[in-house]
Amino acid sequence: MNNSGPSFWTTASSTLHFMLSSATPVALAALGGLLTEHAGIMNIGMDGMILMGAFVAAAVAAIAKSALLGVLAVIFLGVLIGLFFALFTVKLRSDEFIIGCALNTLALGLTGYLADAWFGLDGIRIDMTIPAMQNAYFHNINVPLIKEVPFLGDVFSGHTAFVYITWLLVIVMWLFVYRTPMGFWIRASGESPDTLRTAGKNPERMKWIASILCGVFCGLAGASLSLGKLNCTFVENMSDSRGYIAFACVIFGGANPVKVFLAALMFGFFDALGDQLKVIIQSDLPYAYLVNAIPYVITIIMMVYVVVSGQRRRERIAKQQLRKLEQK
Amino acid sequence: MKQAFAWIRRRLNLSYIVAVIISIFVALLIDAIILVAAGHNPIAAYRGLIVYPFSSLRHFGDMLEYAMVLCLCGLACVVGSRVGIFNVGGEGQLLLGGLVAAYVGSQMSGMSMWLVIPCAALAAMATGGLYAFIPGILKVKLKVNEVITTIMLNSVAALICSFFSSSVWKNMSQNEGIDVKEFRFATLIRGSKLSTAIFASALVTFFVWYILQKTSKGFEMRLIGDNPRFARFAGLKTDRIVIIAMIVSGMMCGLVGMFRVYGAEYAFISSKVSNEYYFEGLMVAMIAQYQPVPTIIISIIFAILKSGARGMQNAGVTIQIYWVMQATVIFCMAAQTGIRASIQKARQRRAAERDVAARREGGVANE
Amino acid sequence: MTDEIRFEHISMEFPGVLANDDISLSIRNGEVFALVGENGAGKSTLMNILYGINTPTAGSLYVRGEKVTEFSPKAAINRGIGMVHQHFMLVPSFTVAQNIALGREPKKGKVLFDNKKAERLTRELIEEYGLEVDPSAEVRDISVGLQQRVEILKTLYRGADILILDEPTAVLTPQETDELFEVIRRIVREKQMTVIIITHKLYEVMAISDRVGVMRQGKLIGVENTCDVDERKLASMMVGRPVLFDHLEKTGDPGEVAIKVDDLFVADNRGLPAVRGVSLSVRRGEVLGIAAIEGNGQSELLEAITGMRKINRGRVTVCGNDATGKTPGEIRAMGLSHVPEDRLSTGVDKVASVTDNLLVGRQKEKRFNLFGFHQRRSTVERYASELYKKFDIRGAGIHTEVGSMSGGNMQKVVVAREFSFDTPVLVISQPTRGVDIGAMEFFHTRIIEKRNDGAAILLSSADLDEVFRLSDRIITLYEGKITGEFKADAITKEEIGLYMTGTGEGAKA
Repeated sequence: MNNSGPSFWTTASSTLHFMLSSATPVALAALGGLLTEHAGIMNIGMDGMILMGAFVAAAVAAIAKSALLGVLAVIFLGVLIGLFFALFTVKLRSDEFIIGCALNTLALGLTGYLADAWFGLDGIRIDMTIPAMQNAYFHNINVPLIKEVPFLGDVFSGHTAFVYITWLLVIVMWLFVYRTPMGFWIRASGESPDTLRTAGKNPERMKWIASILCGVFCGLAGASLSLGKLNCTFVENMSDSRGYIAFACVIFGGANPVKVFLAALMFGFFDALGDQLKVIIQSDLPYAYLVNAIPYVITIIMMVYVVVSGQRRRERIAKQQLRKLEQK
Repeated sequence: MKQAFAWIRRRLNLSYIVAVIISIFVALLIDAIILVAAGHNPIAAYRGLIVYPFSSLRHFGDMLEYAMVLCLCGLACVVGSRVGIFNVGGEGQLLLGGLVAAYVGSQMSGMSMWLVIPCAALAAMATGGLYAFIPGILKVKLKVNEVITTIMLNSVAALICSFFSSSVWKNMSQNEGIDVKEFRFATLIRGSKLSTAIFASALVTFFVWYILQKTSKGFEMRLIGDNPRFARFAGLKTDRIVIIAMIVSGMMCGLVGMFRVYGAEYAFISSKVSNEYYFEGLMVAMIAQYQPVPTIIISIIFAILKSGARGMQNAGVTIQIYWVMQATVIFCMAAQTGIRASIQKARQRRAAERDVAARREGGVANE
Repeated sequence: MTDEIRFEHISMEFPGVLANDDISLSIRNGEVFALVGENGAGKSTLMNILYGINTPTAGSLYVRGEKVTEFSPKAAINRGIGMVHQHFMLVPSFTVAQNIALGREPKKGKVLFDNKKAERLTRELIEEYGLEVDPSAEVRDISVGLQQRVEILKTLYRGADILILDEPTAVLTPQETDELFEVIRRIVREKQMTVIIITHKLYEVMAISDRVGVMRQGKLIGVENTCDVDERKLASMMVGRPVLFDHLEKTGDPGEVAIKVDDLFVADNRGLPAVRGVSLSVRRGEVLGIAAIEGNGQSELLEAITGMRKINRGRVTVCGNDATGKTPGEIRAMGLSHVPEDRLSTGVDKVASVTDNLLVGRQKEKRFNLFGFHQRRSTVERYASELYKKFDIRGAGIHTEVGSMSGGNMQKVVVAREFSFDTPVLVISQPTRGVDIGAMEFFHTRIIEKRNDGAAILLSSADLDEVFRLSDRIITLYEGKITGEFKADAITKEEIGLYMTGTGEGAKA
């Protein structure tokens, strides 16, 4: 115990640190995905949105030699992708699943192809000696006060700006979804569009808005991948299924921003655990893969639970009403 | 003569064929713009696209092998969608099927090929089927959305495969993966990936087409997919048929995994056995509107595009352009369907107005 | 009193259906106007036009003398029109107050939704109108009756002075109905609101309305002062079809009992009791007609007998076999065929051909299968052509997609298929709904042919003339219970009408 003490704490703090940074791109994308989910659009296309975001952020940052411009470009791109996605899923009423798949495929092809055509075999390399790229906002930030605290400092300090902005956005999104009229309309547009229509608001418009915001969030998630690391770069298929993980988080968290963020942390935790496993159990076997699969299984179990408890709830209400009728 | 024409029109959905051709054409135009934007010559690139798959037997063989994979994956999706269940989990079923098939092969080293191949095929199908059964039963019994569960299960399967193929089931003599070179299918064209698996695939394709289109079982499946309430009303055991269809779909995917391992790669390495091939098959099925024969034809068209994408490399275009082409075709198809639906709606509205106006005039005249 | 609302020559056509046919109607300020008619008569469509959900195909609408040019719910709300739909327009996961405020949210600061204020405003409305409900409860957790109150509160919150209620009592218990009527009277008396109420329950018309309009098949049949009419007159206006039929020759005596139902209890889609202790039996060679006004349990009863709906209590016997809790397939095997109430959702595969629809149920028969699995298409098509001719189906041939056919021909496909099974038991629901007069005669003849051949037929129809013409015996259902049983030739339509509305002797007893 005494021997493992310090090593346990360092392992734990680096695991949790890894968890927080690993959860960030996923959480950012999921914050967007929960809006489309609320608006009643099954959004499989998040992976493609992230990928395009990562590419454009890196490309613009490399060309304009400014990380900040890269992020601004990504916001603009996110709007465009959202419009494109909504054009098909809302306006043209295409199958949202197929459109999502096609968007992923398009992103995979387009970013891979253009990265190669425009930047050559080496991919996008950003000259980190340029002052604008050293912009402190995108580097690891040492949070004053907290960084001095043992353990907590190791966990919570030293992340990129994206990590801290994401935490802030979780709260903002929660307020937006549950505490603003627009949030109510977006939720109503998915849950009961006719109700919203008879209330004089256009549900299609809410779906457009949700889709655009989702594009922006996924774009930012992409930017956090390509710009949020020390060596700002873009590699092919950089999103690496994070869009699907984000989708799982949205489902797991019931599209509630706080719960969705917790789900992202859960995925991040298992990711970090897998990463640290070699140190912890000292085995040559890549148990990390199996550990990473756990949160998906939990998500499925969660889905079943939600469905079953929903059925129970309906049955209970029917029974209550029946009892009331019988009393009369 | 007139009857013959009517027969042809009934058999061939001409407006659909025109829609597909226009979609591909428009998609290629859009892609040309992308090519120009990337600084490539689209004419040279498209020449390479068309010529390459037919430029040598080896290229042609690779193209056919890919068409086979797309076709089987597409048909697996068709089997599910025919009864109204959308199997998105084919990727996972394929990978797990391939993994288990490879494991079986690696454990039966030294035995007769005639024993090992059927065992591996059965193991692959059983694995794929079982893996499809989970979302199937959840859908039928609890109404859990099968699209979401299968997406989750895909990720789980990919991770499981990575684990086993890179560790406990890995051949120690090999650098990576589970090696089954010993039992590989005979290659049909030297240097290509086309193996005797294509005959087995043709057989499976034929069976699927036959059962869906020509038998009373296929007839019942279509009823369930079109209107499950009506199917129940007519006395069909809808739940059971849906689950069976899902299992069959999973078995087909598992078999594809086995074909990839024994026919093309001779080893199980996750990234090589399938690179989201099932999703491509899914899109093929979607463009084919979930009909078997169009699925076969469109999988060949897409295989030509994919193979041709290699040919575009001579013009400096990288292989990724294939994904772009595939996606643009789908967006064009979707746009076409959507636009046509809204035009039809507007037309119906106008027809109704005319109708009411005519009725009113008629009424006035009667008075 | 002045005209609050004026419809002038309003017509509304949906693809293939003329839902409103040249309707002109004025509704006065401060009155309770009842709109009655069978399902599909076009009442809801007309009210959806008033509420801006439908844009009329032709004609004009005036609200307080002003011509309506923009048809949207938003514009209607601004005009002071509120509507409580038959299917409630509520977001289940929102609270009562949030549902009420939706679209016109009170704000805290400039951005945030002020939940406290929403609840306070809701409570004020609750107190003002006496509609007790918990403002902070989630809507999915409260009963249907309370949900309706939320709907009414919602319209009041939006400042409506014209209130449309689409079948408001269909989901209510008698007590809840009384309370609702009390509220309606109060808002009309104290707030000078205009209320339009859609219903099929005639005693409610008598209880609450000042004037009543009757609709049938998209047309407005008549508008009367409620004090000048009685239920009998309204019933005849609602269900009568102005056609005289030839007498149908009924032969043979009833044989053994083929359908037997004992003390059956069935719930509706919401889990509330729809059929409450029904017992009946049908003999071979007779037609038992069910006379009931829409929504009194007849649909659920027939669905339970044919296996399409779960039975909560009681027993169903078909041809001597216990059919309780069996699947539709098993019950069919006992010798039952079924012409369903709603052919589009239950009776056909819209996107399949006439051939395929006629084959359904016979797809496993030996003559259609080579080696037991290969479908012999030519034999199938020959069989379909025979039925096509025999049942005088008119369309573009056996390859036509069923969904593109007219209602009458689609029904012929259903009847051709079900009657061709030659089963001893037939359950028939709404055989001629949405069917023209010519085809109606055809169906009636076929049904009587079946009866004379010895089939036991259980018939339910919204058309009272049809029930009288075809049945040997008639039972009346009211609120899920049998209120009377009669020989068809020993009772008049007017008397039946009383039992159907729960006011006959049977109901009193």
